[in-house]
Amino acid sequence: MATPPDFTTGAILTAAQMNAVGLWLVKSQTIGTGVASVTVTDAFSADYDNYRIVVSGGVSSVSAGALNLTLGAAATGYYRAGAFMSYSGGSITGFNNSNATSWNGIFEASTNIIDGVVDLINPFAAKNTVISSHTSAVRTDGYSLFQGGYLADTTSYTALTITASAGNITGGTIRVYGYRN
Amino acid sequence: MTNPLIQIDDEIREMTDEEYAQYEATIANADSMPSAE
Repeated sequence: MATPPDFTTGAILTAAQMNAVGLWLVKSQTIGTGVASVTVTDAFSADYDNYRIVVSGGVSSVSAGALNLTLGAAATGYYRAGAFMSYSGGSITGFNNSNATSWNGIFEASTNIIDGVVDLINPFAAKNTVISSHTSAVRTDGYSLFQGGYLADTTSYTALTITASAGNITGGTIRVYGYRN
Repeated sequence: MTNPLIQIDDEIREMTDEEYAQYEATIANADSMPSAE
């Protein structure tokens, strides 16, 4: 079969064709009303080494908020470095954290939307988890923000938590996809 | 004073004092974010 596959109506899909699907929706979680943090359990498993997390929709109670990301019960050991540039221009600004209590600012949240895309490498494996992410502040004085980092332990994780650093969040969806090994 | 709401999958409830302490620790490094409130 061609890549990408050209499925036709009524076609019987073989195991080989289905096993070639590269990205699989593992879990979709709707964010509730006025919550300060959201934990998604059973997000990671031995089925996949690497995952994509997409958060979209919803709103924050504040005009310029950020959401932090943590894994399982890990309360320290989060390393990250990143850079952002505002839409109005100016210089690229770098920032970082070492051995922090979360990956900070992974998702942007405003009264317009909550958004961000994250790739995690090896969250379930007993290895360091590696993160790369991008989010955009959806407001006229906003910016685009890229980050990378890792979690300095080799614990196997199954759950993730996003936490509002200010105010609370309502609505939107957290989707977790597994990259086929 | 009530603690913030926590959501675990589809369950939403008020944070326990222990969860609130963890929440406070989690956002402790938020000050390095650009223009976050």
